Amino acid sequence: MATQPLTASVELIAAPLAREQVGLWTDAWRRLRRNRLALLASVYLTLLILVALVAIVHTPYSTSHQGVAPTYAPPNGAHLLGADASGRDILSRLMVGAQISLIVGLTTQAIVLAVGVPLGLMAGYFRGWLDTALSFVINVFYGIPDILVAMILIVILGKPGLEKIIIAIAATRWMDMARLTRGQTLSLREREFVEASRASGARARKILFGHLLPNALGPIIVQVTLGIPAAILFEAFLSFLGIGVPPPTPSWGSMAADGIHSMRIAPHIVLAPAIALSLTLMAFNFLGDGLRDALDPRQKR
Amino acid sequence: MTAPLLEVKDLHTQFFTDSGVVQAVNGISFDLREGESLGIVGESGCGKSVTALSIMGLVPEPGRVTRGEIRFRGEDLLRMPHEAVREIRGRDIAMIFQDPLSSLNPVLKNGFQIEEAMLAHRHLSRRQTGVRAVELLKTVRVPAPAERAKDYPHQLSGGMRQRTMIAMGLANEPAILIADEPTTALDVTVQAQILELLRDLNQEMNTAIIMITHNLGVVAGLCSRVIVMYAGQIVEEGPVDEIFDRPKHPYTWALLRSVPRVDAVQHERLRSIEGLPPDLISPPAGCRFHPRCPFRIDRCFRVEPPLEDMSPGHRAACWVTMDRAYAEMGAGELLDVRPGAASGVYDVGDGHVG
Repeated sequence: MATQPLTASVELIAAPLAREQVGLWTDAWRRLRRNRLALLASVYLTLLILVALVAIVHTPYSTSHQGVAPTYAPPNGAHLLGADASGRDILSRLMVGAQISLIVGLTTQAIVLAVGVPLGLMAGYFRGWLDTALSFVINVFYGIPDILVAMILIVILGKPGLEKIIIAIAATRWMDMARLTRGQTLSLREREFVEASRASGARARKILFGHLLPNALGPIIVQVTLGIPAAILFEAFLSFLGIGVPPPTPSWGSMAADGIHSMRIAPHIVLAPAIALSLTLMAFNFLGDGLRDALDPRQKR
Repeated sequence: MTAPLLEVKDLHTQFFTDSGVVQAVNGISFDLREGESLGIVGESGCGKSVTALSIMGLVPEPGRVTRGEIRFRGEDLLRMPHEAVREIRGRDIAMIFQDPLSSLNPVLKNGFQIEEAMLAHRHLSRRQTGVRAVELLKTVRVPAPAERAKDYPHQLSGGMRQRTMIAMGLANEPAILIADEPTTALDVTVQAQILELLRDLNQEMNTAIIMITHNLGVVAGLCSRVIVMYAGQIVEEGPVDEIFDRPKHPYTWALLRSVPRVDAVQHERLRSIEGLPPDLISPPAGCRFHPRCPFRIDRCFRVEPPLEDMSPGHRAACWVTMDRAYAEMGAGELLDVRPGAASGVYDVGDGHVG
């Protein structure tokens, strides 16, 4: 193995020189790739997204049709994950459930971003009455239990549906983002480059979105990645309680609820969605942690 | 004679803190003419930076300009709508700061930041601003400007960063460039280069410069006129050569003596000014410098000296002035005077005043 030490030494020489040239994001990506767990999580999530996409055009069986399989059928060749109490194919329902979970996770975070980030930026930068008002509203929202906020909203918004669930979940999640962005802005606004851009005559909007936001992006990305599993779990929880996605649309939460009564005779009915949910939550959390480490400049070696 | 470019009249800037009102700038007046280079010197906390921020309209909370006028081309910036002042900031009056690293946005490329400064005031395409940003970097003598424009601030050296800041300041060809301690964070050779650059820009582009510094050497090398500030007030103002040769105010005199000189006589001691600048919440009565002044007379304790003309263009605020100290003591005896020393203060008796 004569080549082994040679390549190693070349890397040693090249590494410090190369690091000088890379930008912030390239550097973060490099560190993320070194994190095995985060990498594994990304692979799992990519597969999950693929499955959810496939489910739009094709599922092995109809998800709403009853009796495509014998009731309580255990996993077998025709139905890889078995069938539920109504004789519906669990794999097919799990695939559509993945769709629901991802839609809920991503859209709630999109709303949370759209609401929380501008509010946090403005409150942190302008301070004054806006900051006082926002902090008050945030505290009020934190004071009421999430489940109560969600239930009240679902009742107010009327007829249950996916978009109402999303709005209800976003209503319990936007404060985290607003508070995080506000905190970041509060410390960033004291930095000299903000004063320098003010001195160059930049408008407030430009300072907020052109100067402060790019600097706060790291923590915001991490917050989004960790907010997605929280939203997914909350949807599953609401659906488990029966106030989530209306049947017959399968959600991992409602599937688990369906299986809970027959746990002794057919544990696969509750286990399949529970395992899918757990894996997905873990994957998002590992990815979030990995991103946090990768984007934290103090971790830089 | 044409009207001055910038006229500051009786400017008061105060900070309303929990422990009281800090009178950071207390009734200063000065002019700046087109293409002139003016130095403002003083110790930390004398109000020189606050003066700059007042002109820019960027006094931080809880500070406020409470009185006075700042006329730019005849119009009072303090009575203009916010949007109009924002338009003047960066376009007509630009400012560069002490620490070039923290003054540049760490996540944005250098060229992009210079472009932003242009786009704040003009509608230009990204193509145009991109080309101009590289031109500006070339103007401020950044080698390989096209490549440096694509770098992030942390990839540049301190001197290159300050050049980038200056390029940002010059982006809109301002009439006035305010430089707040622009060389303090740089090492000496780089300091000299930046000063040379500023001097050339001042002469070639006819940009008026206000150089704020505690370093008298910087003023000597760049400015034609200097203002000496102490405790929020102007204590002396005049042509650089005259003030360096023949300071009128004991504070200026003491400040000059505390500068290390290569050509100084071996045994000559470096004299610091002992004591601290006064508390600006409750400044001392009379002359604000009297607790540290070696030449104080009774009147200094009670009555504030006005800023009076000493010779054409040279003003000082002192009841005694160095002329009298020289006349009564002689250069040799003066060498032993220690400003600010609690004991051994040489009190010129009030009775001597004719």
